[in-house]
Amino acid sequence: MRNTWVILKREYLQRVRTRTFLVLTLLAPAIMTALMIFPAKLATMSQKADYVVIVTSTKQFGEMVREQLLSELAVSDDDDAEESGSKQKPEEQYTIVVDTTATESERSSLRDKIDTHTIDAFIWLTDDAIAAHKVTWTGREVASSREKVWLGDAVNRIVQHQQLSKQGLSSSQADELLKPVKVESVRIDRGRETKGSGSSRFLEITVMVMLIYVAVLLYGISVMRSVLEEKTSRIMEVLLSSASPTELMTGKILGVGAVGLTQIVVWTVMGGVIALPSLAAQPNFGDLQLSPLMMVSFVLYFLLGYLLYSTMYATIGAITTTEQEGQQLQFLIVMPLVLSVFMLMPVIRAPDSATVMWLSLVPFLAPIVMYARIVIQTPPLWQIGLSLLLMVGTIAGLVILCARIYRVGVLIYGKRANLPEIMKWLKYAKA
Amino acid sequence: MSSVQSPAAPTPTSSDRSPGAATVELQNVRKCYDEFVAVDGLTLSIKPGGIYGLLGPNGAGKTSTIRMIMRITVPDAGQITVFGEPLSRAHMDQFGYLPEERGLYKKMKVLDHLVFLGQLKGLSAAEAHKRTNAWCERFEFSAWTSKKVEELSKGMQQKVQFIAAVLHDPRLIIMDEPFTGLDPANAVVLKDVLLEMAKAGKTILLSTHRMDQVERLCQSICLINHGHAVLEGDLNQIKARYGRHNVQIKYDGDASFLEEKRLVQSFNDYGNYVEVRLAPGADSQDLLRLASSKARLDKFEVMEPSLEEIFIDVVGKSNA
Repeated sequence: MRNTWVILKREYLQRVRTRTFLVLTLLAPAIMTALMIFPAKLATMSQKADYVVIVTSTKQFGEMVREQLLSELAVSDDDDAEESGSKQKPEEQYTIVVDTTATESERSSLRDKIDTHTIDAFIWLTDDAIAAHKVTWTGREVASSREKVWLGDAVNRIVQHQQLSKQGLSSSQADELLKPVKVESVRIDRGRETKGSGSSRFLEITVMVMLIYVAVLLYGISVMRSVLEEKTSRIMEVLLSSASPTELMTGKILGVGAVGLTQIVVWTVMGGVIALPSLAAQPNFGDLQLSPLMMVSFVLYFLLGYLLYSTMYATIGAITTTEQEGQQLQFLIVMPLVLSVFMLMPVIRAPDSATVMWLSLVPFLAPIVMYARIVIQTPPLWQIGLSLLLMVGTIAGLVILCARIYRVGVLIYGKRANLPEIMKWLKYAKA
Repeated sequence: MSSVQSPAAPTPTSSDRSPGAATVELQNVRKCYDEFVAVDGLTLSIKPGGIYGLLGPNGAGKTSTIRMIMRITVPDAGQITVFGEPLSRAHMDQFGYLPEERGLYKKMKVLDHLVFLGQLKGLSAAEAHKRTNAWCERFEFSAWTSKKVEELSKGMQQKVQFIAAVLHDPRLIIMDEPFTGLDPANAVVLKDVLLEMAKAGKTILLSTHRMDQVERLCQSICLINHGHAVLEGDLNQIKARYGRHNVQIKYDGDASFLEEKRLVQSFNDYGNYVEVRLAPGADSQDLLRLASSKARLDKFEVMEPSLEEIFIDVVGKSNA
């Protein structure tokens, strides 16, 4: 215990005191923020309003279409806001102008205007076109499916409205008839209704995946490097004369792990301070209902997953003799991570299928797969407990394995370990 | 320099706890790596206090033996006892170890590094700090304690490692080839410190293949070859057992006495003097009379056998 603590402290302080750590800790959030904000800003900046011309037979009908188009845009944007996050007013997205000279010469002059970038698109919506049930959108870009639906809905509604009026219904009656049905999704979790939309559920899983990825890739390598450093600098023999290999490995993994956590905590706090005001302004921020179970399991699965993968890196450090060799073996670590991400789709589709259940118990997949299950549809508690237990067991087993390989590594320098060799080492390192 | 008290203030009390018990005892210890037998039924006993030399050619099994005492590897067979008890992890804090494979964390500051290693041996940070400063003063590199290890010369790094081995005032100090890489001046400092600690009651196990060092420093030795002890015990007794067969002669004139096969088995001319090995059963006094009758003698000295000769003799026999 004493030695583990001394080693942990050394690993931690030795890293935290470096200038690199300070710079990375302070600069990374700034760079990340810039990386996230800049493209978004760039996208909105380039998005100047599209200039669309509607060609109709009568001015009155043209104005009606224009209004309908803009009002539908406002409605559909409310629904999409949670995904795109854009809160532009419809008037900022499209400038719509009505044109009543429905002649062929006007059509070709509009085509020319598109070529010269004077306008972006025109919609041919004459009475003849409506009677033929064929409306054309002509633009520099082919109309997106969203634009087609948008235009189709608007025109249909107006035409239907006009038809209904002709049948003798009042305008308000027609509106009532044509009011679109809004679909709302409700999720039942342990008997309680929550309104969390699918996309916000997905957000929690994405955060988990990102955190584990970043932490494992940034700090797992440090654990490996640190083990290798002791082997190449040959200090391990001195260390082994004072501490057991298990103490060494545990101290090292926890020490480097603590460095990673420190950085992540600093980043989270900084990120929170920067992003919280704008996040809170999001309409669906309140939907992010984090149950205590979810928060506890987030912390547990992140920590255990991080530990597990760090231990795998330590083992690779113990087996190999150079960093290049170690990096060649890295795929062994990245593979289960990538696999768990691929598993996410089946998990979201069928969170309680037998296959998903068994796979979510596998320690290397659990941090992402089991966590995703918890978020989407809480599995039985025994499954959560079992997966946590299996992870702890795997970590302990790996630490012991890694410690043994490390100890025998003293005897063999500069020799690559193949599998039979490792088995032999394990035999030597008994007790 | 040798009059300076060791800063670690070694106290002899530690070796008195179990009087009579050997500090380290190996019984029939065996260690194999695959087909290769590194240590083969080694038995030796290191008495408390003094410097014990572990001698042998390269690959004889010295480092393998030390690693088993340090519990880095485990013997396949046999018993190791220390201070009269079976070897266990609890003893590690009472051992100081300077391995043959040297290494330090390159990016760490000297002071931090030594405090870290001291803490691993159970010292408090403050105590480790205090002792490190005292030792650094003793080795005259206090100016370097705030430097990083990588800025130090090889010799200085070695001093750092030596300090690491003795910082916690261990009862048993194991040094694997401690003099390699040291310049003569620093080798003298190190030798003085070792002798001083031995006088203070510490037990020092010195592993080396340099016979001259063992001859000058050690009271007892174990000579190992092919993994087992070929000679073990008090150095003076071993030398006495091997008798006095060598004569150093400095002469001027007729050298024909060297050809007297009845008295001279072989001789080695070093230019200034010759070293003669007496024939079995020959009396050195007969050679003296013969030589003085032929040539003018400046020096005629009957020599103790050097450890090197004993070594070559014994190893030659055991290899044959």
